[in-house]
Amino acid sequence: MDTVNVQDLSVNDLAWVIDYHADLCVLCGACVASCSFQAISFVSTQKLLPKQTAKSRNKGNQKIVVKQSADPTKLCCGCGICEKVCPSRAIRPIANTHSREHCLNQSQGPKRRGGRGNLAKKRTLDAIFVGRISQMTDPPLDAERHTFDLRAPLGRVLAADKLPLEVSGQSLRLKASHPPVAWIYPLIFSDMSIGALSTRAWEAIAIATAYLNEECGLPVRMCSGEGGVPQNLLTSDKLAYMILQIASGHFGWNRILRALPKMRTDPAGVLIKIGQGAKPGDGGWLAASKVSRHIQAIRGVPQTTLHSPPNHQGLYSIEESVQKMHLSLNQAFGFRVPVAIKCAASSTSVAVYNNLLRDPYQICGGFFLDGLDGGTGAANTVALNHTGHPITSKLRDCYKAATAQGLQGQIPLWVGGGIGMHGDAAADAFKLICLGANGVFVGRMLLELLGCVGNAYGRCNQCHTGKCPTGLCTQDLRLVQRLDVDRGAENIVNFVLNFDQELRKLLAPVGNSSLPVGRSDALISNDWAIAQSLDIAFAC
Amino acid sequence: MRHIETLEGHQRLSTQALLQTLETAIEEGETDFYIHASGQHDIGGPLWNRQGKKLHLFLTNPGQRVGAMALPQTEIVVQGSVPADVGWLNAGGEITILGDAGDTAGHCAAQGQIYIAGHAGARSGSLMKKDPAYPAPELWVLKSVGSFAFEFMSGGCAIVCGWDCEGPVLGQRPCVGMVEGVVYVRGKLPELGIDLQIQQLTDDDRQFLSEGIKRFLDKIGQVALWPRLTDWQNWQKIIPACQKPAARLSLRAYRQEHWISQGLFADVLPDNFQNIGLAATGVFRLRVPVWENAKTEDRNCRDCHRCELECPQKAIVRTEQEDGSAVYSALAEACIGCGLCQSICPQEVWTLRDNTELQAFSTQDPKEPSGPTREDV
Repeated sequence: MDTVNVQDLSVNDLAWVIDYHADLCVLCGACVASCSFQAISFVSTQKLLPKQTAKSRNKGNQKIVVKQSADPTKLCCGCGICEKVCPSRAIRPIANTHSREHCLNQSQGPKRRGGRGNLAKKRTLDAIFVGRISQMTDPPLDAERHTFDLRAPLGRVLAADKLPLEVSGQSLRLKASHPPVAWIYPLIFSDMSIGALSTRAWEAIAIATAYLNEECGLPVRMCSGEGGVPQNLLTSDKLAYMILQIASGHFGWNRILRALPKMRTDPAGVLIKIGQGAKPGDGGWLAASKVSRHIQAIRGVPQTTLHSPPNHQGLYSIEESVQKMHLSLNQAFGFRVPVAIKCAASSTSVAVYNNLLRDPYQICGGFFLDGLDGGTGAANTVALNHTGHPITSKLRDCYKAATAQGLQGQIPLWVGGGIGMHGDAAADAFKLICLGANGVFVGRMLLELLGCVGNAYGRCNQCHTGKCPTGLCTQDLRLVQRLDVDRGAENIVNFVLNFDQELRKLLAPVGNSSLPVGRSDALISNDWAIAQSLDIAFAC
Repeated sequence: MRHIETLEGHQRLSTQALLQTLETAIEEGETDFYIHASGQHDIGGPLWNRQGKKLHLFLTNPGQRVGAMALPQTEIVVQGSVPADVGWLNAGGEITILGDAGDTAGHCAAQGQIYIAGHAGARSGSLMKKDPAYPAPELWVLKSVGSFAFEFMSGGCAIVCGWDCEGPVLGQRPCVGMVEGVVYVRGKLPELGIDLQIQQLTDDDRQFLSEGIKRFLDKIGQVALWPRLTDWQNWQKIIPACQKPAARLSLRAYRQEHWISQGLFADVLPDNFQNIGLAATGVFRLRVPVWENAKTEDRNCRDCHRCELECPQKAIVRTEQEDGSAVYSALAEACIGCGLCQSICPQEVWTLRDNTELQAFSTQDPKEPSGPTREDV
């Protein structure tokens, strides 16, 4: 038996403690076999004794038990796979309220993790209610039986008097081209790259997207994220549902460009990613452990840790980003495909939006704002927990800035970052739309629908390690096989169908059959400061 | 016959005064009325004679809700057109309009007959219903009805004869949310929701219509139209689709039949989309036990059979060599890599190693021929 010092780690120092009941355990081995973190293993009680003592004891007393490791490279993350597979409820992880984890293991550099920020628990949206109901004032609608027009623009919408129309005989005719606008479902599956996600997870989302379009009539779009796009998709008709992303790493873009002549259809759009709400100002980071051979093939990179810089090299101002990035990507697809831009919400977002609105080229097809409750596959914990800007007031400020200039609706506002994190994605979306959004995007939520067990209370969040126990955020084929693509996609489809019905349930009482963009009179807040800040009615 | 004038010079009888006059007269035994109205509401119901005699009302120029909540034994004839809500909540009256009707004609009617000699407005026949204890309500319209007609209809029967109409005889979005009842239509239909079905007339339908149209035309004084309206090839009926919408395609079937063949990543990572589960075997095991006998001096197998006996998967096989010594191995197809063998072995002969077998199956270059599929391993 080794000497134990006070600085040595023990299980009770850790964030998660395995609650194990040897009396219930049937020694089937499922928990230890399925733990991708090697946080638990079988040990013989005999071998825990000093050798001399062990020899003198009766061997018949030997017991095999499951033991948790306190090795910092094999920490339990609370994922609960052991509990899932245990046939006798003999084992489960418990969050340790006495954890000393924050002061341990400092030799490994600053902590990283995936998931959402943990510190922002109280959300503005939860203090807002749909308080303006049609009660004798105007007819409400029947959510289940009336027909609704739930479509949102992606693309630069010209003011009516700026449309290049001329009268030709009895009809109107276009005399010049105008920016492309697609009217799509107000829910975009947001950008998570191949690499951050496993091939199966990414494909499940792509399948759900195509299914929603083809079998359910909902024009939902998915954004590729920047991790390359499979050749099989680039040359397929299904590309029409995909918004291609270009971020600062430009990963995979040479292969997208080489596929251009072979494309049978245009993609749904292009999204230029400047930043991400979960870790604003931080670039993408993909650990070498996740850059497996097929990821190297899809991204066109060697096996190494992949960093995306925090900014696009060569863009030094808003004007330049419009002129260079928007123009390049517009021309890449013949000015037929809407090109939008995504930024992390920031104190400066309104200035950026104003600048885009003044863009003389009319080639900015959307402003995507990502708030601090968004998720990520890998971030420095300090960034995840302490940087970012809540989405709600920032969206409101942008919308009001546009309204003050009479330019609202011309550059669609899409917002994300924590949509649905408290369970009511449709309510979140509806409130944000009433505050001025055209639509919303969800990313992390899709992972949860696919089976992710992580949460904002510190469970799992090991997306950055390549050991994702659900096969979602790993390239380890042993883990990826755990993900049932069909069931995962089915869950996403069901979620969207429910979202659709719930959105109608909220539209009906305010009497709107189309999206109530900017109808802030429909909202009230029971928080005075929030009501003041968002310019909505206070109610108590 | 009681004749009621509602205008005296510039003085107009209020709705309340007229209705109270009417009620008092009925209470006194009067059954026949000629009312020259001036827009008064709610004329015609609910009224009844204490002896059960039939009440006859002949009206001109009434306001909204003529015959609203009318009871059986009430017969109302209106000379000319009426505004909205004629026959609203009709509970058994017979109401004849010798002109057009405004919006929501027959709204919520549950019994009785409403005959309209012209067009009827938007949301006509909405929420018509059938009370199982009484005969179903009928709404007869000679010409067309406006948009949203028969919305949420849950019983009864509406007949739109499409006389003298060029375009569709029903306005936009008819029969939204209709769950019961039938709408007979002669003439062009607009686009209908998927929860409805259009059917051709049966013999019973034709018989019902043939008799009903005769009665209707008689009521509105247009019997000459009978041969023209019974041109059955122009008639159809709308009923709610009895079957639920077809079950959605499963995602598995969609992937197999409509998704990109072999999947998105077939060129770099062949995938058969199978799941082996959490405690997987074979190449999908996270770890594999390796029998490292005599690797060091004190790690010699004593052939105690413990690993073989205790393995929860019965995966360990003992093979006897020619010299009588034993060799142990773990069967890949049964072993999940739990490591119980390692922990139980008194000599620590078993070692649990990371399983790297799968790493070779993806490729770095999509142009290379792809590696073996998962089925191959």
